[in-house]
Amino acid sequence: MSELWAASALSVRIAAVATLVTVLFGVPLAWAMARRKFPGRGILEAIILMPVVLPPTVVGYALLMLFGANGWIGRYLGGYSIAFRLEGAVLAAVVVALPMLYLPAKAGFAAVERELEDVATLMGANRWQTFWHVSVPLARRGLLSGIVLAFARALGEFGATVMVFGWQPGRVTLPISVYAQFEQGDLNTALPTVLVMAIAALGLVLVYNALASQRD
Amino acid sequence: MKHALIRLVVLSAVLLGVPTARADSIRVGAAVSLKEAFGEIATLYKADTGETVEFVFGSSGQVAAQIKSGAPMDAFVSAAKKQFDDLVKDGLLDVETRHLVAGNELVLIVPAAAVKGGAVGGFDDLKKDAVAKIAVGEPKTVPAGQYAAQTLKALKLDDAVKGKIVFGANVRQVLAYVERGEVQAGIVYRTDAKESGDKVTIVATADAATHEAIIYPAAVLSKTEHGDAAGHFLDYLMSEKAVAVMRAKGFSIPTDPAPAAPAKPATP
Repeated sequence: MSELWAASALSVRIAAVATLVTVLFGVPLAWAMARRKFPGRGILEAIILMPVVLPPTVVGYALLMLFGANGWIGRYLGGYSIAFRLEGAVLAAVVVALPMLYLPAKAGFAAVERELEDVATLMGANRWQTFWHVSVPLARRGLLSGIVLAFARALGEFGATVMVFGWQPGRVTLPISVYAQFEQGDLNTALPTVLVMAIAALGLVLVYNALASQRD
Repeated sequence: MKHALIRLVVLSAVLLGVPTARADSIRVGAAVSLKEAFGEIATLYKADTGETVEFVFGSSGQVAAQIKSGAPMDAFVSAAKKQFDDLVKDGLLDVETRHLVAGNELVLIVPAAAVKGGAVGGFDDLKKDAVAKIAVGEPKTVPAGQYAAQTLKALKLDDAVKGKIVFGANVRQVLAYVERGEVQAGIVYRTDAKESGDKVTIVATADAATHEAIIYPAAVLSKTEHGDAAGHFLDYLMSEKAVAVMRAKGFSIPTDPAPAAPAKPATP
């Protein structure tokens, strides 16, 4: 039981930090992509969305190739590696959670009537004020549902995480704990973990649905 | 619309129904530490007999679990007694065909690049703070991990290294972690370190008294239709040619290749 508790705490911690990072990067990104036109926009969007269709193992592989001890970037970081570290697990979760936030957030920003933003600018608001006081509140439904989806995706992330974070006894996330118990041949002992995750997923999807069907 | 639906159903049925190739070859589930040695032996075997052998490699525990759940295999070669005996207990192996094909040693390795710094020169150094992560096999299913746990316990290091352990799902994953420099040390078989070449360095060999004897028992599965063919391959593993390959790869060859097999249950 205490193992299930520890795994839940670790999973929630990683997913919460990953969601925060995803919001910090994803919301301005979604806004820029909804409002600006610039060369390479299509390619950039494709790269952001790639993890939706890419196997998470490929994401994990790419992260290790970049930030592993001998990675293309890692080798210049003086022995630092994301492997087996919380930052690594967070990074893996951010990559797969970003598209989940990005798509609804972008749709939310795109649905904000441009005239309202123009009016704010005419009334003397600077770009930041327009974004924060006009665009974000008007797009909040898309943003909130994106945040819920991103958190849910981060919480359930397994493939990239197991490659980057590995299997550390006493330090496993909920999905890794299911895998570990399967590997050890204890399908029955994994049942409580599976139930916890199923209930969490159900709850998050219900919240998402409530947000998505909310009327303005 | 209706036609399109029927076509889709037919197409799915055809796609699912494509038989996966399983020709006249036999399939041997084996501990992954045997990968290269068995690959070479299979080539020799093919040249000598014309027979093809396919392998399913994994940790002995994973392969045993596959056999338990009915995976189509004809013989099993384990890296430890435990996983082998589990299958014997379930009646899945034909004990009459038991062979002891090899022996091995357990070693402590470090990434080759790390030797200059010299943080790890022996098992005792695993206590040092400079050693943040140590890779070992998951002890329930990976024999190398089971032996490593025994050695760490015998050396009274198990408490000191507790928070540093990273599990590999098989011994080659442990090796890969060390090769890539993601961990400061790992515990694998001597043959794995040898296979890795200059990427890792052996800093110590575990005293054989600290762990169970590392042996590779093999047997034909009880339920296979290719029992004779599989038995031939296991016999071939004891041939001069095969033994030469095993020795070249660093395995030891058990001096008494056929220890008394458990008495055959009387058949009515």
